[in-house]
Amino acid sequence: VKMFNSPILLLVLFYLRLSTEWPTHTVCKENNLEIYYKSCDPLQDFAFSIDQCANILTNTFNIRAAMILRHSITELFLNVNLMLNGKSVLGYSKKLCEPNGHRFLFCGKKKGEHIYYEGPVKLGIHAIPKGVFKVSVKLNNGDHLTVACAEFTITRYIQQ
Amino acid sequence: MLGRGALSFPTCLVLSSAILFLSQLMACSFNPCVEVIPNITYRCMDLNLSGVPAEIPPSTENLDLSFNPLVSLTSNYFSEVPELRLLDLTRCHIQTIEDYAFKDLHKLLTLILTANPLQHLGPTAFYGLASLQRLIAVEDDISSLADLPIGHLHTLQELNVANNQVDSLKLPGYFSHLSLLRFLSLKSNRISSISTGDLAALQGEKKHNLTLVLSLNDIKCIQPGSFEGILLHELSLRACFENTGLMKACIQGLAGLQVNRLVLGEFRNIGRVEDFSNGLLDGLCQVQLQEFVFISFQRFDNCTDTLFDCLVNASTIRLVDLSLDQVSAVPTASRIHHLEFNTCKFIEVPAKKLSSFKELRVLRITNSKYLTGFREKFKDLPNLEVLDLSVNRLSFIQCCDSYLKRIPKLKHLNLSFNSIISVTGGLNITELVSLDFRHSKLNDFGSFPVFHCLGKLIYLDISYTSSHIASQCTFSGLKSLQVLKMAGNSFQDNNLGNSLMNLTQLLTLDVSSCKLTQVSPSTFKSLTKLQELNISHNKLLAFDPLAYKPLQALTVLDFSSNQLTVLTEKAMESLPSCLVHLDLSYNLFDCSCNHLSFLKWAKEHGELLKSTQLMVCNNPVHMQNMSVLSFDLSSCHLSPVEWVMSVSVPFAGILFVILIYKYYFLLYYGLVLHSGCRRYTDRNDTYDAFVIHSSKDIEWVRKELAEKLEGGMPPFQLCLHYRDFIPGVPITTNIIQEGFLSSRRVIAVISNHFMESKWCSFELEIAQSWQFVDGKASLIMIVLEEVDKVLLRRKLGLSRYLRRNTYLEWRDQEISRHLFWRQLRTALLDDKT
Repeated sequence: VKMFNSPILLLVLFYLRLSTEWPTHTVCKENNLEIYYKSCDPLQDFAFSIDQCANILTNTFNIRAAMILRHSITELFLNVNLMLNGKSVLGYSKKLCEPNGHRFLFCGKKKGEHIYYEGPVKLGIHAIPKGVFKVSVKLNNGDHLTVACAEFTITRYIQQ
Repeated sequence: MLGRGALSFPTCLVLSSAILFLSQLMACSFNPCVEVIPNITYRCMDLNLSGVPAEIPPSTENLDLSFNPLVSLTSNYFSEVPELRLLDLTRCHIQTIEDYAFKDLHKLLTLILTANPLQHLGPTAFYGLASLQRLIAVEDDISSLADLPIGHLHTLQELNVANNQVDSLKLPGYFSHLSLLRFLSLKSNRISSISTGDLAALQGEKKHNLTLVLSLNDIKCIQPGSFEGILLHELSLRACFENTGLMKACIQGLAGLQVNRLVLGEFRNIGRVEDFSNGLLDGLCQVQLQEFVFISFQRFDNCTDTLFDCLVNASTIRLVDLSLDQVSAVPTASRIHHLEFNTCKFIEVPAKKLSSFKELRVLRITNSKYLTGFREKFKDLPNLEVLDLSVNRLSFIQCCDSYLKRIPKLKHLNLSFNSIISVTGGLNITELVSLDFRHSKLNDFGSFPVFHCLGKLIYLDISYTSSHIASQCTFSGLKSLQVLKMAGNSFQDNNLGNSLMNLTQLLTLDVSSCKLTQVSPSTFKSLTKLQELNISHNKLLAFDPLAYKPLQALTVLDFSSNQLTVLTEKAMESLPSCLVHLDLSYNLFDCSCNHLSFLKWAKEHGELLKSTQLMVCNNPVHMQNMSVLSFDLSSCHLSPVEWVMSVSVPFAGILFVILIYKYYFLLYYGLVLHSGCRRYTDRNDTYDAFVIHSSKDIEWVRKELAEKLEGGMPPFQLCLHYRDFIPGVPITTNIIQEGFLSSRRVIAVISNHFMESKWCSFELEIAQSWQFVDGKASLIMIVLEEVDKVLLRRKLGLSRYLRRNTYLEWRDQEISRHLFWRQLRTALLDDKT
């Protein structure tokens, strides 16, 4: 029986590790488009929604996101990567908050504060091609600490 | 196997539940607070703590207890940590703070209470906080400033009560005691109206330094006179108004305010005011302000028609993130001396319109991603000193003379982070002190001197401008230049050459990432004042002491990321004496014992060298990526035993060779004797006798001895050295091999010559010892003539031998000769087979 103990132990530990992963949330589930996301920040999950999924294809759409900050965001950087087979094939990064000149409402908030953001987002593409895409979104502060991290899975079906 | 598997299933279950339990227990009982700075700073964030952990030492100054369920702070809660300067209680579910909870924290400067559902605060809850400067009570369910028992905190400088339910700006009377208060934020509260007397507590001489943030309150009404006589450093009213009309009315309510900086506007994506209609800011005519900041305002249909109407008396205007695409109307007379457009939507530099701000000293148009053109020319801006057009998308062809020549006092020009700047127009701006082109592509630069007229220029940044410096006179004329930054460019032949010759006043030089492979010995010749040199990220293979020798004032040298393998002794000696910062990281150091002096030097100069952990060995292979400073010098030193060995072994070897050379014969002879003369004696004798004689007696030996003995009957075979010795073999070997070993007898021809010859006495000695070893009388002596007695006496061995043994004498008489031959033949015939 002893022989089995260590694999079992490993299995249990692995299970424990897995159990800290956050659940997958559904953003959109329509006929031709499905969007799911999962938080990849070990510290916390967050809430995210898109007002009308159909609008994604018409350029500008409204998003809502809420979370509790674990780190201050006097400075905030956004990094979006389109992943293919685990590798980034397309990247986009932007500085959202600067120490002076807080353009966004949430800029300058400190650790522990609650963030609720509601606003339009432009994708900058006119159509989502058919297929399954993974998009990784990361928000880091000026100290390179992870403020938020999410992996989106976007599945696009083309209707006949 | 199946049985075993089935058996192990309950084990697995028990084990897993046990581990789950243990892991929970571990999370509860062990509080591994992060020790950021030992005994000073501890971070105990999110550890499920219900109090100050016992292991926190009393000397702690910064304690982060955030995200722990403390729930309630009782009296003297922090008595174990009286030295605290900063206490973070963010999201600790604190509902109750009892009286004297912070009593022991006399030294506390910052108290963070963010996001706690405060319900009960004892009237003396904050007593004892004698030094408190910052109180952060964001998201704390505070509904009234009067509920906060903080009137006694006379040292308070910052009070942040953002995101609460405060519905009135009526400042309680205790604010008049908070004489040091600099910052009061009531952002995101529920203040809907501001009435006269609300800010009465701020009226007083000392209060002109206060920053008051009222942004994100839904203000419906500001009663005129509310701000009458109020003196503020800054007032922020962003996203406070529901619509244009309300905003206009409320701004009029600010009448009588004196403020250094007024911030109006909204936030990105929170735009409620429909339009910047005419007269929106009219109320500002009644406000005394120095600086006006208008931020994130999206609807600008009528451009700047009335924007500046009531701002002509302000000195600074910053327009940030406005959807403003052109400047339409501008005031004919204004006192504005600092104008900034940040993240606006201009397509062209509105040079003509902006030229109306005659008092302008600073003009900044930055961060506009649509701004590509610079076609208009500036007209008479007599006071403008700073022109900042950085981080746009400008394509500036024929920069800069004709566009800027009407700005006679221009001192600072920043065109960095644009698309393309072409300097073909010449740079005739004689007053220019600083010039920044970095990260803009510089066209037509590098082959002729464009800076010729910039005699007052002190600072020049042309980093990453894709410049190729091909001419020696590129920088000529820059006789005052103190700082030259030109990283990320290239030079002719990848050599700095003499391009820096004219820069005699230079203090700082950055030529990193310039693909340099060489530095000429004369490059730095005139840079005797240079204090900082960054030559990193190049491809330099060596540090040429001759080239760097003129840099005697150098204090900082960055030589990192080159291909240096070692600093030679000369280079180490020639380093400037005032150097305090030397970065040699990311080079290809060779850590073999050949470079011991460098490795030793590096160890001794740990303070001078920076980023030492990145100074790693590249060679030899087994030491790759090891720190140069961790090199074990003793691995190159020999131990005393090794030292003695290394000296004595060659010495002994040499001695051995000398001895062998000197005593070759003795050794050889000894060897022959030792390895068994029997082997030699057993062999067939080639000769009947070996004749030892002086070469001066050769005539007698040949004519008499050899003829008689070899020609007689029976014939004897004699070994004669002149005839039978083999050429090419050492004489001693011949004597032994051919003479003694191959002959049965030895005939010694004694004469005066014999005794004078060293070889003869030597051969005689061997013959004697041979006779002794062999044990038979094989030596036949022939005394050729009357021997000199004195000589004979000197040859002690011979005289004794002659005295004790029978010998033959060669006489002139016939009879005695006959006897002589008979005796000799008999002696030779003895035991001849």
